[in-house]
Amino acid sequence: MAGFEELSKGVIGGNQAKVKELTQRLIDEGAEPLEIINQGLIAGMSIVGARFKNGEMFVPEVLMSAKAMGSGLEIVKPMIADADMPSIGKVLLGTVKGDLHDIGKNLVGMMLESGGFTVINLGIDIAPEQFVAAIKEHNPDILAMSALLTTTMLHMKDTIELLKEEGLNDKVQVIVGGAPISQDFADEVGAAGFAPDAASAVELCKRLLN
Amino acid sequence: MKTRVNYRANASTKMNILSPSQCQEVVMAAVETMERTGTVFHDKESLDILKKAGCWVDGKQVRIPAYITERALRSCQKHVVLCNSRTGARELFVEGYNAYFGSGPCTPFTRNPFTNERHRATRQSVAWATKVLDALPNIDYAMSLGIVQDVPLLVSDRHEFEQQILHTDKPIITVCNDQWGQEDCIKMAEIVAGGEEELRRNPFICLYAEPISPGVHCREAAQKLVMGAKKALPTIYTPCIMAGGTAPATMAGVMVQGLCESLSGLVLSQCTREGAPFIMGGVYTVLDMGTTIFSYGAPELHLLLAALADVAHYLNIPMFGTAGCTDSCIIDEQAGIEAALSIAMTNMSGANLNHDTGYSEYGTTSNLDLVVIADEVLGMARKLTNGIRVDEDTLALDVIEKVGPGGRFGKEEHTQEHAKENYAPRLVNRAARDIWAKAGGKSLTQVANEKVHDIINYHEPKPLPKDIATKIRDIVENAVGHMPGEDD
Repeated sequence: MAGFEELSKGVIGGNQAKVKELTQRLIDEGAEPLEIINQGLIAGMSIVGARFKNGEMFVPEVLMSAKAMGSGLEIVKPMIADADMPSIGKVLLGTVKGDLHDIGKNLVGMMLESGGFTVINLGIDIAPEQFVAAIKEHNPDILAMSALLTTTMLHMKDTIELLKEEGLNDKVQVIVGGAPISQDFADEVGAAGFAPDAASAVELCKRLLN
Repeated sequence: MKTRVNYRANASTKMNILSPSQCQEVVMAAVETMERTGTVFHDKESLDILKKAGCWVDGKQVRIPAYITERALRSCQKHVVLCNSRTGARELFVEGYNAYFGSGPCTPFTRNPFTNERHRATRQSVAWATKVLDALPNIDYAMSLGIVQDVPLLVSDRHEFEQQILHTDKPIITVCNDQWGQEDCIKMAEIVAGGEEELRRNPFICLYAEPISPGVHCREAAQKLVMGAKKALPTIYTPCIMAGGTAPATMAGVMVQGLCESLSGLVLSQCTREGAPFIMGGVYTVLDMGTTIFSYGAPELHLLLAALADVAHYLNIPMFGTAGCTDSCIIDEQAGIEAALSIAMTNMSGANLNHDTGYSEYGTTSNLDLVVIADEVLGMARKLTNGIRVDEDTLALDVIEKVGPGGRFGKEEHTQEHAKENYAPRLVNRAARDIWAKAGGKSLTQVANEKVHDIINYHEPKPLPKDIATKIRDIVENAVGHMPGEDD
């Protein structure tokens, strides 16, 4: 249906009003809700992801596109059962205990959402026990931990240890990030992955779930 | 005899980003933000101090009435001096339009000057860095250029300070993990100075804390600030903010957000102890929207900090600035351009105590080659701001007349007397091509790297007396680490 391409363009352009209007029009014309999502909204967002990676789009534009996609999703969502909602995977996200740094983690969260993941952002200063409780509650595919300090990054190891104790380490894959984190550190603490920035965190999550 | 009136001379360059009216507008906007929006303090003692002083405390959110901010601006010490650690000599007058330069702290990584390997900073890397800082004439003070990570991480700050004090007698700005680390470092400094009062009279250390933008003072930062005030030691409070990330995208909006955080710290410092020396810091830059890095090479960094220097001069409080750093991952043309622009601009702005010389890779990796290059750039930048002296002697009409058309100035006494006033480079190449080629045809970075090797191998900093070094070792060995988020 020609309308899908136009809808994708609306997402790429970050035009919320246009996306709302086109989504509604497609529904009225009898398009399948899942097709509207996959061929219109998500298709547009994939192009946004690729353009960001190539340096052709910047963070604010990506976020505008994500917002536009969200406004379309809102209209379609009531027409689909929750279980049928397309999601690449669920990521539980948080900054470790004793660390109040928020911005980097939030950028990762926004980029993951833009990339089609369901993100549960626990916030900052999250103790190992809180991560474990949230994993039990939400059953995520991936736990993503952030730390900005060489002192607080030690809590990443504590959390991974606790996951093992609780027998959760087979159920969830752990990734880590933040200024003092490196691949070596990730290997040392037994994390499944490390990403140096928000965009590569999305790629990492996709790779881990494939 | 000649009389001359209404004659004005520039003794230096003149540069302003903001006019006094604009400074006032920005400051008033920050004061309004402190009163209307407020900031959050995650520290009970700080909340008690602020409440007692008359601030409006609502949970952890603190709104500060303008009169308290105005009082704090009046009461903080304007005359801040940093001293030589071995002699107590008063070296840096962190005030007015004086500009001093040094390195930066807390990079998790460093590049080994011998192997070029990028690795986590160690005791040895901080020792080497401090030696290099000690040897360079245009570097005025030392920050560690790395978080020591080959020791238990929770007490890394004590090891860092030990390596610094062993390898330089220049003033040290010490960045501690938490209040306990800072307590130990102050203890060590007091041993070096010969007592608590001696350190206060001739401080050779300066303390450092930073809020988490936007508007959050974590417990460690607030506690370090309170301790600095109680000890009456100079304390820097420096928001590291990103336009479009942790502050509005507009430059004026960044100024307001940053000042709101700095001045909230100032209020805490002054409510803890009136008159405590406080240095308003700032690393104001942009969130790079293509890569999401906190940029250390963006022109906005230099622009914002030069504007902050105008505000600091307007408020007459000492300021901590940023220069000599780069986003580049290696020391290449980009590194040279970004470091040089920032140094030249910052020096012209008259920001007082300027840090981060030697930062590469957007502040994550220290590089000693860049420190050596920056030292040369600093020499040039300082020449740039010297101005031109215009008087009978320098106009040199007699010499011009004596030499005459087609003559030679080289042999004139006047030339010999004054030529040394011109800048003599120590690092950059001005040799003829053949001579440069015969000397190996080296790039500036190669020459800088060789100089780093020379300094590490041959420079001997003024030693710390053995008995004092032993006492310091003792504190380092007995340091107790505190896990962040615990001990509440």
